[in-house]
Parts: sequence; C-alpha cells; structure tokens
Amino acid sequence: MISRPIKEGFRGVGRHWGMALSSAIAVTITLTIISIFLVFSWHLRVFTKNIEYSMKIAVIVDEKYENEAAEEKIRSQIEQVEGVKAVEFSSKEAEFQYYLDQYDDAAMREVMAPFGDDNPMNDAFYVEVEDGDLIEVISSQIREIDGVEKVDYGGQTTVDVVSAMETIRRVGVIFVAALSILAIFLIQNTIKLTISARQDEITIMRNVGATNGFIRAPFVWEGMIIGFLGSLLPIALTIWGYMALYQHTQGIVFSALFNLEKPIPFSLYISGILALIGIVVGYIGSWLSVTKYLRWKR
Amino acid sequence: MIECTHVYKKYKNGTNALYDINISVEQGEFIYIIGPTGSGKSTLIKLLDGEEVPTKGVVKVVGIDVGSLRASQVPIYRRNIGVVFQDYRLLPTKTVFENITYALEVIKMKKPQVRARAKEVMGVVGLGEKGNAFPHELSGGQQQRVAIARAIANRPKVLIADEPTGNLDPGKSDEIMALLERINKRYGTTILMVTHDLTLVNKHRKRTVVLEHGHIVADLAEGGYVRHDQ
Ligand SMILES: Nc1ncnc2c1ncn2[C@@H]1O[C@H](COP(=O)(O)OP(=O)(O)OP(=O)(O)O)[C@@H](O)[C@H]1O
Ligand SMILES: [Mg+2]
Repeated sequence: MISRPIKEGFRGVGRHWGMALSSAIAVTITLTIISIFLVFSWHLRVFTKNIEYSMKIAVIVDEKYENEAAEEKIRSQIEQVEGVKAVEFSSKEAEFQYYLDQYDDAAMREVMAPFGDDNPMNDAFYVEVEDGDLIEVISSQIREIDGVEKVDYGGQTTVDVVSAMETIRRVGVIFVAALSILAIFLIQNTIKLTISARQDEITIMRNVGATNGFIRAPFVWEGMIIGFLGSLLPIALTIWGYMALYQHTQGIVFSALFNLEKPIPFSLYISGILALIGIVVGYIGSWLSVTKYLRWKR
Repeated sequence: MIECTHVYKKYKNGTNALYDINISVEQGEFIYIIGPTGSGKSTLIKLLDGEEVPTKGVVKVVGIDVGSLRASQVPIYRRNIGVVFQDYRLLPTKTVFENITYALEVIKMKKPQVRARAKEVMGVVGLGEKGNAFPHELSGGQQQRVAIARAIANRPKVLIADEPTGNLDPGKSDEIMALLERINKRYGTTILMVTHDLTLVNKHRKRTVVLEHGHIVADLAEGGYVRHDQ
C-alpha cells in the first residue's frame, strides 16, 4: 500500500498536470544540458589527466657532459627538483633509433641509418612531472642545471589547451549550478499553484490540528515526482546518445589520449546522477514553496 | 476551561480589535458572544484557536496558555478544541463520511477508531443516512451539521463556533441550536458561539457576552439582550 503523502503527491501532479508538465519540461531541459556537461567534463578530466601524464620534459645533455659520472650528477639534480615524479635515461643511440623509427618508409630508414655512425644525437633524460600545471616551472629549474644543453616539453600549446579546457569545465560547473537553481525556481512556482488550489484544504487541515510536517509531505512528494519525471527523458537521451557516440567514434576522439568511457556502466552512473539531481531539485523547490507558505501561519 | 485576562489585540496594520477582555468560562458552559460587525468577535475566536497572538494579556484554554505556544505546537493544541465557521469549510471532493474521517486521519488516529467515531458523530448530528453524499448535494443546514460532526469527532473539550447560523434561515438556525445544545448536554462540551442573530439569542437564552468596538460592554448571566439604542 502506498502511503497517503505519496498518493496525494501523485494526485497533485495529476490535478495540475499542465503546470506539472511544464516544470517537468524545465527540469528535462536543465538535466539534458547537465548531462552533456557531465559527460563532457568527466572526459575532460580524463583527457587532462592523460595529457598531463604523457607530458614529459626532454632534457638534452651537453656533449661535454656525456659520461657516466657527470650524467649521474645531472640525474640526481633533476630528481631533487620539486614536482618531479620520475627520470628516465635515454642514450644517444636510443635517441637515434627513435628518430629512425619516425620514418614509415623502410627505404628512407636505410638512407638515414649510416648517419648513426657519427651520431648527431645527444644523451637525454625524460622527466615525468606530478602535475601538468608545474611543467613550465620545473623546466626552467632544470634548464639551470650544469651540463643541460636544452630543455623541451610538449610545448606551450599543450599547456594552454589543458588550461583552456579546465576553464571550460569550471564555467560548466557554474552553468550547471545556475540551471539547477532555475529548475528549483520553476518547481517552486508549480507547487505554489498547487498550494493555492488546495488552500481551503490546508486551512481545514490546520483547523483540525494537522502539523506543518503533515501538511508539507504531499507537496514535497509532488515536487520530487515532478523532478523524477523530468529526469526520465534526459536519462533516455543520455543512454541512447552516449551509446551512439561511442559506436560512432569507436570510443576514440581526436587521439588515443582521448578515450571514451565504456557506455555501461558510465551512462548508467550519469543516469543515476541525473535522477538524483531531478529529485533533489524537486524536493528543494517544493520544500521552499510550502515553507514559505506556512511560515507565517499559526 | 476558557480564561481571558486583560487581553488586548492590536493587528500589525495598527487596528485595535480588542481592549482589556476578561472572560471566564466554566467546563460545560454554553455562552454567546454577540456584537455589531467589526466589534472583535472573530478576533476573539482567533485568539482562542491560536491563529492570532494577544498583544497583551493571557488567553488560557483547557489550561494551555495559547498565546505563548510556538507555531509548531499550535496544531497539537488545536486537537483539544473544535472549530466551526459560518462557511462550513467542507472539502467539496470528499463525501460526508470522508470529510469527517479526514479530520481524524490528519491527526493520525487509528483506522478502526476513525470509522467508529465518524459513524457515531454522523448519528449525533442526524446525518446517519448521508454518509455517501457530497457537500454540494446537501442543504446549508446539513452542511453545517457535517462541519459540526467533524469538529466534535475528536471529542474536544471546547467547541468554538463563529456565526454557525450566519448563512441559515431561522428554521434551520433553530435546528443547529438544538444540535449544539444536545452536544453540550451529551458530551459536556464547553461551547462558545459567536452570533449576530439576536432573535436566536433571545429565544435560546444563555450567558451572553456583548462586544462593542473591542470592549466587553455586558456579560449577562441570564442571557437575552436588548439593544440599548432601542
Ligand atoms: N487580519 C486582520 N488584520 C488587520 N485588521 C483586522 C484583521 N482581522 C480583523 N481586523 C480588524 O479588527 C476589527 C475586528 O474584526 P473582527 O473580524 O474581529 O470583527 P467581527 O466582530 O468578527 O465582525 P463581523 O461581525 O463582521 O464578523 C475590525 O476593525 C477589522 O477590520
Ligand atoms: Mg467575524
């Protein structure tokens, strides 16, 4: 058996189905946008992490320092720089091989191979950093070390892209918060209508001794039901849309760095979050509405 | 049962509605509050049912200082009193029986008891056959009986009525009076009834408190009232 406030809540939705529908649509629009942002910003995080992870600083050793003792000293100095996670040595031979490997064409590789006899490459260190944001600072510190000829990293563009995406993500968070507030406001107004339609009943309830909590319950349920109904379409869109996106792209966008999450369970997590946001938004909106109405009533 | 001592009421907009009201009503008493329009009768009722707070003085009902109750305590307090209004205030979408049971469900009374009480009070007000009727299918007098049945269903010690016969013709008014007297006798309910109807007051004589411009100008133990401008 369903309890009274839930039943009354459904009845409220039915009674003002026009208003309920329009605020459910508002929730739907809000949640659809929230869904896109959630999917976007989740992947942005993963992407950012991947980029940061793959961003290594290449430290080219001065020819004059290409001996074990000097290089050991350089390595230990690099390791002491704050924010350095790992240092990896790569000999000039390995460097040249890596260079050769860049050629797809076997013939070209053969042409180039003899140059390895008078190897133009230098020994190098590859430095992994703990946080992509620190890459610039760390690079300039390493540049100061004796015996370091040159320091290279993915370049300013990569850093800029990462920070731009981070900015987009932050703006997204604010945008999502603003939309949620808008949805709360719309639900609050819908519930206000239900309240004024049931004013007589509320007066009667008060006369016969119903507590505020008792009076509030059905309205709050109504709000939560509207919020939940509003989340159904966005959930369907999310699951369907994400599946389609995943199939279309084979799970890879731009580059291997940008992997899409597997649709299951990812889209289900997002759906859960959407339903929760819908219900919470409905709860807050209706709670505010009833509380405002009851506040001055004795 | 009802104790007003030096009660003043001034509304937020500055209107003075009551001045130095002193009334003491014993358990089982039946009294009228009469007076011209705007004299403060409804204001007095609102102080008694906790809807308004006295500006000064103390309002005590069934031993509770009504004015000092916190808003959240007022609903619980109201379970001690029944209130009836001129406009009946029935739920139009519920049957007579449901209107009565609703008031008991709201205060979380157990189902079987709710049904028993509803049946009982429908008998008391003489509407035992009308349980399945909707309010709009009833006459004004019958609707007021339903409202009275609902008000007494929880067996309140005090029944407060604000012009319960205000919308009824004299014949129906007499019937409502007879019903209230019956309730007063049968359950020993203290009844305080506000009315405009001097014919009624003179016919069914009871203690009568007269309000004018917010002052008590008479408190007649034997009842009956003659306008002093006549
Ligand atoms: N909520 C309110 N806010 C401000 N003033 C009010 C309020 N309710 C009543 N009043 C004023 O208080 C005075 C007494 O009003 P009240 O309703 O108690 O009179 P009454 O005796 O019940 O009149 P009636 O016989 O017409 O019902 C009037 O001047 C009225 O305008
Ligand atoms: Mg009045």
